[in-house]
Amino acid sequence: MDFVVSQILTGLSLSSILLLVALGLAIIYGVTGVINLAHGEFVMLGAYGAWLLQTQFGWNVLASLFVIFLAIALLGWLLEATVIRHLYDRPLDTILATWGLGVMIQQIVRLTAGGELRYVQMPPGLSGSVDILGATDSAYRLFVLGVALGLFALTWSIYRYTTFGLKLRAITQNRAIASSFGINSGQAYRATFAYGAGIAGLAGALISPLKSVSPEMGTTYVVDAFMVVVLGGVQSLMGTLASSAVLGEASGLLAYFSNDTIAKALVLVAIVIIIRFRPQGLFAPRVRA
Amino acid sequence: MSGKLTRQFLIYGAVCLCILLVPVVVDDAFLLNKYARYLVFGMLAIALSLSWGYAGILNLGQATTFGIGSYCMAMFLKLKTVPVHTGSEGLPDFMVWNNVTELPWIWVPFQSTTFSLLAGILLPALFAALLGWFIFGGRIAGVYAAIITLAVMVVANLIIIDQQSYTGGFNGITDLAEFSFLGIDFDAYSASTYYLVAASLTVTLFLALAVSRSKTGLILQAVRDQEERVRFFGYDVALYKTFVFALSAGIAGLAGMLYTIVMEFASPTFLGVPLSLSIVIWVAVGGRQSLIGAMLGAILVTGVQGALSESEAFLETWTLIMGGLFVLIVLLMPKGLAGAIEALVRRLPQAGNGRSARHTEPDHRPETHPNLGGTQ
Repeated sequence: MDFVVSQILTGLSLSSILLLVALGLAIIYGVTGVINLAHGEFVMLGAYGAWLLQTQFGWNVLASLFVIFLAIALLGWLLEATVIRHLYDRPLDTILATWGLGVMIQQIVRLTAGGELRYVQMPPGLSGSVDILGATDSAYRLFVLGVALGLFALTWSIYRYTTFGLKLRAITQNRAIASSFGINSGQAYRATFAYGAGIAGLAGALISPLKSVSPEMGTTYVVDAFMVVVLGGVQSLMGTLASSAVLGEASGLLAYFSNDTIAKALVLVAIVIIIRFRPQGLFAPRVRA
Repeated sequence: MSGKLTRQFLIYGAVCLCILLVPVVVDDAFLLNKYARYLVFGMLAIALSLSWGYAGILNLGQATTFGIGSYCMAMFLKLKTVPVHTGSEGLPDFMVWNNVTELPWIWVPFQSTTFSLLAGILLPALFAALLGWFIFGGRIAGVYAAIITLAVMVVANLIIIDQQSYTGGFNGITDLAEFSFLGIDFDAYSASTYYLVAASLTVTLFLALAVSRSKTGLILQAVRDQEERVRFFGYDVALYKTFVFALSAGIAGLAGMLYTIVMEFASPTFLGVPLSLSIVIWVAVGGRQSLIGAMLGAILVTGVQGALSESEAFLETWTLIMGGLFVLIVLLMPKGLAGAIEALVRRLPQAGNGRSARHTEPDHRPETHPNLGGTQ
């Protein structure tokens, strides 16, 4: 019993990180159709932000979250305004441009902050552990899980219940007709991109106490996040939630029997096979062809 | 049309001849080795140009198949090393360090020269065909397909580093024997290796040209521009895409084998994201819809990189410059240098054969029409 609970908790922790990282990517892709390959770098910048604020000003991670969100969102806003917005008609080229931007961000960080691994301390109040049904889990990991779910709920509510969300859904369904009804799709895209970037930064800051921080850390995250989006189905926030849960638990279980690398490889193979037979993703409600 | 074809053949032939004649002028073994490396990159660029420029399949993991080819060659050459470098019972040294007692089954066939040379091309091609069957059979296209190729590469890289006792792990496979074939020794620092690479490049370039000019090539370009319509005509789009994907992988595998000969080692970095990104950049700079443009783009960019990296300061900022240049090219010159030159030639008023110039294809901008269908 202890084993089952602790295995589920390990999986949930992985799931929460996946959800945090994938959420921003999913929103941006779902609304604008842009695969943001610089997403991993936004995550990395968020982690460096937490490290910088901690070493320079002694802020703990929790205190720096809001500032980091704003900073990375601003960066996303600027990049959208200068580069991405010229490329909406050329989806493949958005991959290239964001990849190029990602490389530049990575190199700038390497040149300014150095290439060595950095570590961020856990917030003091959450460094303990908690007993759940006989198993113990780190309080901070549970906290991250809570934040991930909270952010998801917030995003979902914005998308579902606000006027802005209504406009977004209209644009997602048909940009040309939405525009002809007076919805400023350019503005909506920019806001979406900024919000997605901000969440990525937030994810990076939250992850930073759990992992080592390095300029290259973004690459694996963007791949992981993309797998979540593929499995969950595009334009389906609930799908993103469900597939984060599935992938996290599956990786945790596979990693228990082999190791992280083999687990990742098996998950990828499974995804490639799944999309052959269900290209729309596992959890997409219906497909508009 | 035929006039244009002849002109194209002449240009391609002239460029290849220039490349083949380099050792006549250059006598420095070190330089020849460096140039051979650039040529290998040129082959990689041709491979990507075939799949990306002609069929619209943006392969962000071109280095995967390159790496497979290079590991095939490295395994073969490792088993050829004299016993001094290998451990007990002819086992490669790193296996002895990892307490492997007998040669793993995946290594056994690489004792054969024929198998190894074929495997370097066919294994990547088969791998790509299998992956292509899943991707294209599921009608995955565009950005989706691109990211899957990237994910596959990241995972392949992790596996190679993880399976240290079979692959040499992070260090790769080093201390290789010299490649010799049909009685010729291919020392990495020699004209013979340069000729080997240059000849392979020439064959590859003309093979790619032939494919792009064939009916298959035309169908592939049609798939790139309007996939749905080609499908409605009754063509098996997935089959064509899988074919070009595998062909491109085979070329990359060959390039990988040659790279191992030139560099004298194989390493997980050969399957790395930085290399794959570089390949995409070379092709974007040179012009993805021109085989020779992509190839020269690779040689040009790596050449400049090689020249600049002599100085320490540039080495640091090179990646930054490359990233910026790449973003600018994507934004402003989607067809690369070859596209720019073509546009320039077309604008020359009636110069030379102005008639045929006017008949050249119009710009393909399939995605620019307003998207009323709601897809993508």
